[in-house]
Amino acid sequence: MATAELSLKLQSSSGSRVKDFLNANMVNILAAFLFLLLAFFLLYPIFAVLIKSFRGPSGFTLEFYQNFFSKNYYYQSLLNTLLLGVINTVVCLVIGFCLAYMTTRGPWILRKPLKIISLVPLIAPPYLFALSLIILFGRNGIITRALDLHWELYGFGGVVISQTLAFIPLAYMMIESTLMSLNPNLEESAYDMGASEATILRTITIPLLAPGLLKAALLIFVMTIAEFGNAAILGGRTPFLAPDTYTMITGESDFNMGSVLSVVLIAPCILIFFIHNYLLEGKKFTTIGGKPVASEPRKITPLIKIPFVIITTAAAGAIFICFAVVVAASFYKILGVTDRFVLSNYLDFTSNQAIYNSIRVSFVAAVIGAVIGVLLSYVIVRGKFFGRSFIEMVSLSGFALPGTVLGIGYLLAFSAPPFRLTGGIMILALNCVFRFLAVGVEAGISKLHQIHIEIEEASADLGASFMTTFFRIVLPIMFPAFIAGFIYTFMTAIVSLSAVVFLVSPGFQLAAVKIFDAAVYGEIGIASATTIKLILIVMLCMAALNFISKKTKIGSSMSQKGVS
Amino acid sequence: MLILKNIHKFYGTNEVLKGVSLEVKQGELVTFVGPSGCGKTTLLRLIGGFTDISSGDIILDGQRINDLPPNLRDTRICFQNYALFPHMTVAENVGYGLKINKWPKHKIAARVHELLDMVELQAFGDRMIDKLSGGQQQRVAFARALSLEPKVLLLDEPLSNLDANLRLVMREEIRKLQERLHITTVFVTHDQFEAMAISDRLVVMKDGLIEQVGSPIEIYERPANEFIAAFVGYVNFMDGRIESIDPVTRNTAVSTPYGTFEITLEQDDIRTGDDVLMVIRPESVSLSIDCKQGGKNILCGSLKTYMYAGSLAKCTVMIGEKKMIIDQYNPRDAQHFKLADKVEVEIPRSVHLLKKK
Ligand SMILES: Nc1ncnc2c1ncn2[C@@H]1O[C@H](COP(=O)(O)OP(=O)(O)O)[C@@H](O)[C@H]1O
Ligand SMILES: [Mg+2]
Repeated sequence: MATAELSLKLQSSSGSRVKDFLNANMVNILAAFLFLLLAFFLLYPIFAVLIKSFRGPSGFTLEFYQNFFSKNYYYQSLLNTLLLGVINTVVCLVIGFCLAYMTTRGPWILRKPLKIISLVPLIAPPYLFALSLIILFGRNGIITRALDLHWELYGFGGVVISQTLAFIPLAYMMIESTLMSLNPNLEESAYDMGASEATILRTITIPLLAPGLLKAALLIFVMTIAEFGNAAILGGRTPFLAPDTYTMITGESDFNMGSVLSVVLIAPCILIFFIHNYLLEGKKFTTIGGKPVASEPRKITPLIKIPFVIITTAAAGAIFICFAVVVAASFYKILGVTDRFVLSNYLDFTSNQAIYNSIRVSFVAAVIGAVIGVLLSYVIVRGKFFGRSFIEMVSLSGFALPGTVLGIGYLLAFSAPPFRLTGGIMILALNCVFRFLAVGVEAGISKLHQIHIEIEEASADLGASFMTTFFRIVLPIMFPAFIAGFIYTFMTAIVSLSAVVFLVSPGFQLAAVKIFDAAVYGEIGIASATTIKLILIVMLCMAALNFISKKTKIGSSMSQKGVS
Repeated sequence: MLILKNIHKFYGTNEVLKGVSLEVKQGELVTFVGPSGCGKTTLLRLIGGFTDISSGDIILDGQRINDLPPNLRDTRICFQNYALFPHMTVAENVGYGLKINKWPKHKIAARVHELLDMVELQAFGDRMIDKLSGGQQQRVAFARALSLEPKVLLLDEPLSNLDANLRLVMREEIRKLQERLHITTVFVTHDQFEAMAISDRLVVMKDGLIEQVGSPIEIYERPANEFIAAFVGYVNFMDGRIESIDPVTRNTAVSTPYGTFEITLEQDDIRTGDDVLMVIRPESVSLSIDCKQGGKNILCGSLKTYMYAGSLAKCTVMIGEKKMIIDQYNPRDAQHFKLADKVEVEIPRSVHLLKKK
């Protein structure tokens, strides 16, 4: 034993100095490299937007911001966006709470089906709901024609409804997980001492849920104000920041005002990101010995039960109908107008071309994203260098940023020399990589936390170099995380719209953009069929992920987030 | 008085309680004891009203309470994890039930004061729950449960989260308070020693069925079957057959593979010729050095292990092939015992017999 140690020491002291240095500093070198990537592909585009918003033809100026805050139109756009965020957040929280309450406290037979319906929208791109609303209530909508109504779907109301439906699963998931972690004995103790259902809710459940509800609210708020598709499709003449940015760039080619709009949209996101990560950190009530167990149903008084049942049935029904009409619409030229059953929407060349392009882009993005994600998570978990938490924050921030911002950012940063990338598949793929990096990083971090560092140390103790340890020990263990990161990135990228809509070139259409265009131009059949194809791809990915997580127990702790 | 009548409980097709009947007298402390998973918590939850009963009746003071929800039942449960409200202070926790039941403010304050006095936490009223030790949390839970003076108190393994010393202290306190308040209590534990120490009566459960009901002494000295005998303490079993019973003195000869023993029979259900199992408790056997062979009820063996632990020595003696565990209390002559020595083992005259079927 002692001689073995000695010989190892001798060996390493005879090794070259450079090799030792590399071994000792490999994590740092890797971190530096990754940081450069992050800086170039994430921070630089954001700064490009920031700079553009301040730089006119004659240098630094506040002109564009003055313009923003002095024109009624922009002011209205900001107001609408914030109002939309607030209304959406409140409605989603209420519905999400009712659904979560029913699936964790309600009758046994309802729990599973309700949970499935609440989560189903996750498999669809959020703008599916805009599409369904057009099919149902648009100018030629089924219900509009059937009842001969003269209403206007396009506007604030339509956006609120489609957004709400799109963000129900996110609200539901977050609230359900906090409800599940609440020790059911707490509510039962209150019940035992004479509290009615309403009193239990008021004095125990909601106060204990408050930190979780607040977190969910912040996240939903950020995601709804940044959401592009629904507002762009259904906004009509009502201005919202995210679609306005798009028209500013593509319609008027005014990059300065486009950047200002983006910065204004980022501001609340950054603020909330910090509140979420730092102020609310650890604000959670814990109890001793409380392993999460299912609560047994209580005898709920009608006063509480009826509103809950109404809200949950309405939400579940609406979600179901929205999916059903998109499926139906995909088989007609325009559902409700032409009633001949056709398959042409599925055979449409441009649609299939777009799907094919989307798969290619998402595949490239997923490969790069999973590699960088695994490496980043390794650096974040095992590294001990200055700025580690900064790297973590940056790599997770892509998710919190409005997609439009990174869209413009990439347009500004990579469309002119020296870094010209536009027009190809790479700019789209890289954009997806860095927007959704959080997904791969989280997969990696959760896996790494299952591995004890002792395994690596043991390997290093035995004289293995960093590279050997990394490739022989770390990578095989991280492989499931890589796969999970790959699939997550793939399915998030393939439905995402808000950033790539800025970056597609006329000859290279993506599925999400195709759906968007088709919906805007009233090609409902094609939009629906393309959406269904995307949904099928996402379902395949989820099945694969489910299979892997059962095999390796990864990803079960991760929550999938709604993405615009 | 709390009466359980033939209670069955199914979870799906899994029958967790298979017909439990019991009467708990006013002011009595009855303990359900049994291995983990035998249905103790389920039974408490049924009495408390948190779980629907599949069949059977629960009767409290003459009223059938099967269908009453917990908030209308006069029972109060203390969960194993205490379930204290983490967003409230100690005083708010203790006063929660009073507030819910619309007591006036000053009365709540007075009652909370009184309860905190009772559990000796006067100074802790304004503390948050997570700033308390485990024992203090246990007291708060107890005070909260007693706040509304329930007819029946249900305690689910209340001491299992405490460390060993505190467990002894707390069980005495709980028992003292329970006797003082004369409150009917159903106590649940998997710890047989705790159960014996605290209870008026024990109910030994296994797989959803009651195996035996009795005072701690009855259960320990006169277990109904092998399972109970082994569950409530270590035991040496020895096969035997009744050779003769003297009808007057009840002197009984039991023949075993290790010789014939003479005992004083205290059971009525044993006849001459019965096959029995002798239940020999480790502490009832006396052990001495050297074996002179020949005395009544005396066996010779060799000392295999001898573990001195101050107040007692735990020994293993091999009698032929048979291993016997012997607890020697007050082991003054410990230094004279040597391993592998010949030792003398004396089987007591009062041995409980289990009749074999
Ligand atoms: N809510 C439930 N659903 C299904 N089975 C349950 C439930 N609660 C308890 N059980 C089952 O009932 C049996 C008894 O459980 P429990 O009463 O908790 O036992 P104990 O408290 O004695 O350890 C166990 O087999 C357990 O798995
Ligand atoms: Mg239990």
